[in-house]
Amino acid sequence: MNTKWSKGFGALMLSTLLVTSACSGGGGGGNSPDNATNKPASGNVGAAEGGSTTLSIMWWGTDARHEATKKALDIYTKQNPSVTFKPEFMAWDAYWQKLPTLAASKTITDVLQMDAAFIQEYVSRGQLEDLSDIDLSGIVDPGVIENLKIDGKLYGIPLSQNAQGLAFNKVELEQFGIPLPHKDWTYDEFFQWARDARAKLPEGKYPIGDTTSWDGFNYYQTSMGKPPIMSDGGKTFTLDKELFMKFYGTYEEFRKAKIVPPAEKAAAFLENDPQADPMASGVLMTRGATTGSVSALEQLMPGKVGVVNLPVGPAGGGWAQSTIFLSVSANSKNKDEAKKFVKWFIEDKEAGTALGLTRGIPINPDVYASLEATLEPKDKIGKEIYDLSLDKALPFYSPAAGFSEWVDTYRKEMEAVTFAQQSIEDAFNKIDKMGKELAEKAAG
Amino acid sequence: MNTLRSNLTSHFSLSAFSFIMLYPVIWWVGASLKKAEELSLPTIWPKTPMWENYSNGWHFSADYTFAHFFGNTLLMELGNVLGGVATAAIVAYGFGRLNFKLRGFWFSILLLTMMLPGQVTVVPQYILFNKLGFVDSYVPLVLPHFFGGGAFFIFLLVQFIRSIPRDLDEAATIDGASVYGIFWRVVLPLLKPALVTVGIFTFIWSWDDFFAQVLYLSSVDKFTVGLALRMFIDQFDIQWGQLLAMSLLSILPSVLIFFLAQKHFVEGIATTGLKG
Amino acid sequence: MTIGVIADSKTRTQTKSMPVKEKSKRISGQQLAGYIFISPWLLGFLLLTLWPIAQSFYLSFTEYSLLEDPVWTGTDNYVNIFTDDATFTKSLSVTFMFVLFSVPLKLFFSLMVAIALNKNIKGMNLYRTAIYFPSLIGGSIAVAALWRNMFGLDGYVNQVLAWFGIEGVGWISNPDTSLGTLILLNTWQFGSTMVIFLAGLKQVPQELYESASVDGAGKVRKFISITLPMLSPVMFFNLVLGIIGSFQTFTSAFIITKGGPINSTYMYAMFLYEKAFKHYQMGYASALAWILLSIVALLTLINFAASRYWVFYESDGGKTK
Repeated sequence: MNTKWSKGFGALMLSTLLVTSACSGGGGGGNSPDNATNKPASGNVGAAEGGSTTLSIMWWGTDARHEATKKALDIYTKQNPSVTFKPEFMAWDAYWQKLPTLAASKTITDVLQMDAAFIQEYVSRGQLEDLSDIDLSGIVDPGVIENLKIDGKLYGIPLSQNAQGLAFNKVELEQFGIPLPHKDWTYDEFFQWARDARAKLPEGKYPIGDTTSWDGFNYYQTSMGKPPIMSDGGKTFTLDKELFMKFYGTYEEFRKAKIVPPAEKAAAFLENDPQADPMASGVLMTRGATTGSVSALEQLMPGKVGVVNLPVGPAGGGWAQSTIFLSVSANSKNKDEAKKFVKWFIEDKEAGTALGLTRGIPINPDVYASLEATLEPKDKIGKEIYDLSLDKALPFYSPAAGFSEWVDTYRKEMEAVTFAQQSIEDAFNKIDKMGKELAEKAAG
Repeated sequence: MNTLRSNLTSHFSLSAFSFIMLYPVIWWVGASLKKAEELSLPTIWPKTPMWENYSNGWHFSADYTFAHFFGNTLLMELGNVLGGVATAAIVAYGFGRLNFKLRGFWFSILLLTMMLPGQVTVVPQYILFNKLGFVDSYVPLVLPHFFGGGAFFIFLLVQFIRSIPRDLDEAATIDGASVYGIFWRVVLPLLKPALVTVGIFTFIWSWDDFFAQVLYLSSVDKFTVGLALRMFIDQFDIQWGQLLAMSLLSILPSVLIFFLAQKHFVEGIATTGLKG
Repeated sequence: MTIGVIADSKTRTQTKSMPVKEKSKRISGQQLAGYIFISPWLLGFLLLTLWPIAQSFYLSFTEYSLLEDPVWTGTDNYVNIFTDDATFTKSLSVTFMFVLFSVPLKLFFSLMVAIALNKNIKGMNLYRTAIYFPSLIGGSIAVAALWRNMFGLDGYVNQVLAWFGIEGVGWISNPDTSLGTLILLNTWQFGSTMVIFLAGLKQVPQELYESASVDGAGKVRKFISITLPMLSPVMFFNLVLGIIGSFQTFTSAFIITKGGPINSTYMYAMFLYEKAFKHYQMGYASALAWILLSIVALLTLINFAASRYWVFYESDGGKTK
């Protein structure tokens, strides 16, 4: 039976080998067939052989964006037969889960989509290539470019217009006889509007939502003419105590007066979830929304969404600028080709038509003009936020590199305030201390 | 008479219990047929069922249908289950039955590998597989299963092997069997129910293993069902109807496998004819 | 009594006792055989697992953002964790609470259900599948939506409570109840543990029950003196793995509560994950991982030491060690 056993064992081992090699069949050596263009991808051989290049590119988004982008890549290859692509695309969460691992193994794609919330982390750690020498005149307003520079350099080609505003349930507000918010309302008007609306709304419905995230207060602080909480790449930290106490004091009063929902209810909110979205579920009359995100809300409650810009102060309010970019990896071996491509991506009319509005309102006015006729109601609302916000807009402030944990701490400390587990002042002290320590570390 | 009554009681209580456990499916089926704006309503069933959620979801990608992703996943699963079932028992027999130097040491290491959270080994592992040129293939997902199927299953089988009486080995030894013979003729047949368990769990757990799949598979052509499902969820935009419809379909293979395979793992020691 | 019944069982196979010489020869032959048998695992460990584990240990002494190369910082990470990190203490205590309640609950529940399902009646395979179902959907993305639907402020649980005139709370969104709710959800997914128990129950030789019946043993005595000891290796397995797994609980907190509200469900594994991939502190996260490993290893060691008093292995000759 020894021989019988060894025969069996041999068979097992053989099948092991077979399956392993079968599975590696398509992918071994990293030269997987390129599915979008059906041309062999061979990035490492690339430029050496006959001047052909394969650019790897990665983005996040919805399926509409994937299909449109693949079409645009095909157009580029048609115009530049020596360049082919190895595209990789996924949804938002997966993208930001995967990107740090790619960075660690130094295999970030040549071209990658970037978001304003993350760009500082990647720039400060040398992952992105300086794109300042790309000539964007005639495509993007020079003022916009200046605004996007980090330490005087441009690391991402802006793709679309974005702006922060406030969405409101216009159908129900009218139904309860509450005046609709108007453009450029001040913070005082906003708070008073909420108080007045409370009186007219039935129980279980609330005019505005509570606020626990850092940016909600940052809008307030900057609109009052103070510096942003984080500036100078995180080296300067300013949390204005007087404004902080006043702002959150107002919300504390609102919680007592049921102008904002109780903490327990607020903690269950999940934006853009059909059941848990604060506004789509019918609980709140208003909530924050951006040009890029408001269409998702509109789809949950079609025909009911109106928009207004964020409340303003003496210095202005809200922001209106691009928050989504194409960047080039600092480790790319095809930087010149990549730079040529990212410029083409926002410049070319044919590409613009193929891409449509899948990344929002195109940054290039010429491309936008050719698409304007195709705007659907959900796109128009987004554009409306942008138009309303533009003249009073302040810059977009993103978390400085190294502050991502502080952002979470801010939310948790303020959550504890909403649950009445600590005072506003205690929360201030903790948030301020941590912020100052981080700024000190960044400075030096 | 008595057994009939006790069977009836069993049926009654088991049906009631099953209903509670199955409540999510009822909710899920209803929700998968709803329009997005209907999902916020507390109803179980939609006014007009949106069967399009299924057809649109199935064809969501321009290049592939979900059949392609199911095919990919099943192929990967074939490797995983084969690897786990083929090697786990071998390793477990070594640890559970044989005496060799450093056995305790190696067994401790085996257990320790389970206690280190995977989040901190995933990056070095990725770098390793990247250097070997296995990124964007199923190798990093399948290969580990061929090295004993994972510590969990090895330990599980060790426990089962240790509850098999040694008398059986000794009887076989006297008949002239070597340790290999004992493994093949005595232990392996008795492990059949446990091995089916290994197979089912390997199947179900690798179906879900999203984090590894998202790292190692990058071209859509190779996507698994789990990765394809994630395509419905973007930062703001979630295709709820299609997501719920397709994720409901995605658990069907696991349900089917469990339903069909259970008669093997509940096959007791008494019916395997061990003394025959 | 326990041992008595088990010892009786030894008579069911006619054992010819082996000469001592033969036995020692067998053991020496096992040296090589042992290594041959464990070689698939050993190979995999040396080729695929050892390096990443060693790396993570090294990284725990560095500052490593993933985006830049690691910088050696000595024991800084460990010192910071133990002296200056309130979140560490919080997430560790949340996790301890989770393990303390969820492991015994799940063990008890799954054993009871396994016994109930260990019968030969018609349609049993349907019942088993239905009951296993919740464990199947554990990792599905639709699950989070489902839980909000059930445990939300206006969810089904509160609707049922309202029939009895009880006013419910936001089970998941209230910091006092969120952890308890997660423990409950985790218990509800007892299927895998149950299946292992079921497989264990089926391994118990029927002859044992028959000979006990001849001795006039009742149902309860059979359970205590046959089922429990025969099942003890499997129970031990479920206990050890339950503890190891629960300390690393991640998914439910990650997709359902996101650790909140106010860190009330901020599990250790989620803390570690966010440190590594959200806050770009892989070095710190690695230190956290090795601390967790030490804690779990210690508990497992205690478990193994205690097992000799209650775990019965038939292969050790019908005696508890």
